[in-house]
Amino acid sequence: MDFRLAFPALVAGRLLLAYTSLPDVLKNDHQLSSPLTSYSRLQEGVYLFQQGFDPYSGGPFRHSPLLLSVFSTVFPLTRFTSPILWTACDAVAAWALVRIWRARQNIAGSMRDTLVAASYLLNPYIFLPSLAFSTSSIENALCLTSLMFACQGRSSAALMALALLTHLSLPSILLLFPVSLLLLTDPFSHLAFPRPFVARIPSLPPLLAEFTAYFLGLCAAATLLCGNTTWVEKTWGAFLLLPDLTPNPGLWWYFFTEMFDHFRPFFLMVFSVHLLIYALPLCIKYQHDGVYATYLLLGVLATFKAYPTLSDPGLFLSMSALFPETYPYLRHPIVTTLLHLHASLLLPLFHNLWLTQGTGNANFFYASTLVFGMANGAALLDAMWAGLRVAIGEMRGECEVAQE
Amino acid sequence: MQYRHYNTLNALLLLSLCFLAPVWSSNSQSAVQNGGGSAHTNNWAVLVCASRYWFNYRHMANALGMYRTVKRLGIPDSNIILMLADDAACNSRNRYPGCVFANQGRHLDLYGDNIEVDYRGYEVTVENFLRVLTGRMDPSVPRSKRLLTDDRSNIFVYMTGHGGNEFLKFQDNEEISAFDIADAFEQMWQKKRYNEIFFMIDTCQANTMYSKFYSPNVLATGSSQIHENSYSYENDNDIGVAVIDSYTHYVLEFMEGINKTSQTTMQDLFNSYDVDKIRSHPGVRMDLFHRDIRHALVTDFFGGVAQVEVLPQLSTEEPIWSHNASMASPVVPAIDLFPLTKGNITEEVQDVELTGDKTAVPHPFALELMAAVQNSTSQRETNYRTVRAWASAALLVALVGWVCSRGK
Repeated sequence: MDFRLAFPALVAGRLLLAYTSLPDVLKNDHQLSSPLTSYSRLQEGVYLFQQGFDPYSGGPFRHSPLLLSVFSTVFPLTRFTSPILWTACDAVAAWALVRIWRARQNIAGSMRDTLVAASYLLNPYIFLPSLAFSTSSIENALCLTSLMFACQGRSSAALMALALLTHLSLPSILLLFPVSLLLLTDPFSHLAFPRPFVARIPSLPPLLAEFTAYFLGLCAAATLLCGNTTWVEKTWGAFLLLPDLTPNPGLWWYFFTEMFDHFRPFFLMVFSVHLLIYALPLCIKYQHDGVYATYLLLGVLATFKAYPTLSDPGLFLSMSALFPETYPYLRHPIVTTLLHLHASLLLPLFHNLWLTQGTGNANFFYASTLVFGMANGAALLDAMWAGLRVAIGEMRGECEVAQE
Repeated sequence: MQYRHYNTLNALLLLSLCFLAPVWSSNSQSAVQNGGGSAHTNNWAVLVCASRYWFNYRHMANALGMYRTVKRLGIPDSNIILMLADDAACNSRNRYPGCVFANQGRHLDLYGDNIEVDYRGYEVTVENFLRVLTGRMDPSVPRSKRLLTDDRSNIFVYMTGHGGNEFLKFQDNEEISAFDIADAFEQMWQKKRYNEIFFMIDTCQANTMYSKFYSPNVLATGSSQIHENSYSYENDNDIGVAVIDSYTHYVLEFMEGINKTSQTTMQDLFNSYDVDKIRSHPGVRMDLFHRDIRHALVTDFFGGVAQVEVLPQLSTEEPIWSHNASMASPVVPAIDLFPLTKGNITEEVQDVELTGDKTAVPHPFALELMAAVQNSTSQRETNYRTVRAWASAALLVALVGWVCSRGK
């Protein structure tokens, strides 16, 4: 189907869906929004700010002050305006994904554009949190626009978008590694013919400095809004200190509900460092293809982030549409699909059994998050394998690739 | 800030009350003589089923029916003492485990999944019942098993089981007499443990049980007079035993038409007694009750209605920006982390009953709070906050715009 027709149609469909009563049903769902992305909490924070109370002085509000400033002045959050904003975010993200695809293939348009856009807009992991008005949709849009600008070589715009994304979601600072790799190389697909990264080290510090400058500028805007720096501990501190143990599809919360206080700092450090250790090795191993490195790091973040929602693995799965060259080399795509299907059915079921009906307990939901983690892990591992396997190519004879 | 002034204001209030006490008591006297509203501030219920064994299923159902009604009309579990001498719901003879029904055809499960039985099985004894009423308990008894009433509490005491002339049988091995209950009520009066008691009893020769009361403010009713049996209402063929008693059935049927805002009086309840239907002669004793029962509401005893004073409205300032009226302001729902969990039987918030006295002076503590809120949100601070918000948004937009304009 022609991309120029399909894309507006998909966006219009999403907009119509957002104006039904579906958002009210989904708004407080724990899989679709976490304590850091929940729309109800955002509304509460905006209201408190307008009434003169500090929204960060204890309480449920953990969104970034940038969101607070935008939604309390320029863009009021109402039942009428929120669907527009969230549909626009999805449209921008899908458009950015299509542009990344085109940049990667170095073409102006292709038959596959519609498929790429649809893989984002029709992915239930993406559109359900968007219908629940979870701010993770905004994060996804920023991530993809940053990637798009990086593919187009526009370093300032890419780093600005990344700085904005980091302000909303601290773990995304790890994306600085692959994005700067991408800015120093090109976005084309080099999976089949990898070549070592020609180290233009002097080009890196200006990029990092620019990122730092944007980051600090945004910090200044945030501090200006709040009048003090309490927001740092409440927003970014949540990722590092895990104060709110509301259930979500991630792997952190259950672990820390049963954690003795004595060991809590140690394991918080372990979990945070665990995220950190993936960044550099992925960039080194996939130095020939920056987009693929970003893709894999997004998968890592989706699986191991502190407060994930369904949009994070959704982004990872949707981005797999950019790499059709890896499809023949995926070892267990059906298993991964079935695991995801299994997990996506179990998560709401066990959540309902635990918290609505009361016939189950937290272990039910925890088990379903483990299955979900396994599904994400299976997808990630398969993507890692396939990305490297492409380079080896068809095997003749009875040889088999055992290790890359 | 409020805590600093709390103690002094409290003391002031007590002092003023001391001066007002004579005025207040005379007011209440005149209010009583005028047949005005009851002087209670909280409601309690003591519901006792005194007989065990499967064939006394109907007594359990009686008590549970009253429990459900009383909860529906607003008395919370913390204010209800439910004593069931046997477990009909989990009885091995119960074909419908976990359920207790009170009608043929089993249309309404009285047991449900949200009930609190405070005294169960062998804990239902005469001694425990009297200790609950008088409050003389071992310190180790938990709060849920205590009747924590004060002199402004209206108590609904309901008893059912097998009884006779001035006695009620507990657990098939002991009995409580009318004198015991009368003495317990007198102890409660002396210790100021109630404002008014409504005593209802459904047994054979029930009216004899209230014949010995001598404490003031007690209204009593029973299902049958001396030398007369009280009969069960109907059997259920699948449960196999009688499921409800006749008197209680008709009282519950009457109560189904009552809700929290109902103005039905106790006189209406007593007028609804139909001797032919109930098949016995229910009685009422109102000589000890100082109010006119034509003005005493059913919800004074069965419901948990709160009296609320309306304070003069705070003058709230304008919001930071005012859109046209058609656009609703951002709604603030209470953050509900578990929005789908089923609540108690009583779903709605308790209704409020406005006092008719619009000229009531607010509590001085409340006045202080209102002043503090108004002072804290002064116009200058609001403006400063608005400026900061817009400056921050402007900085953000400028930064993004500058980066976009660079084209790099």
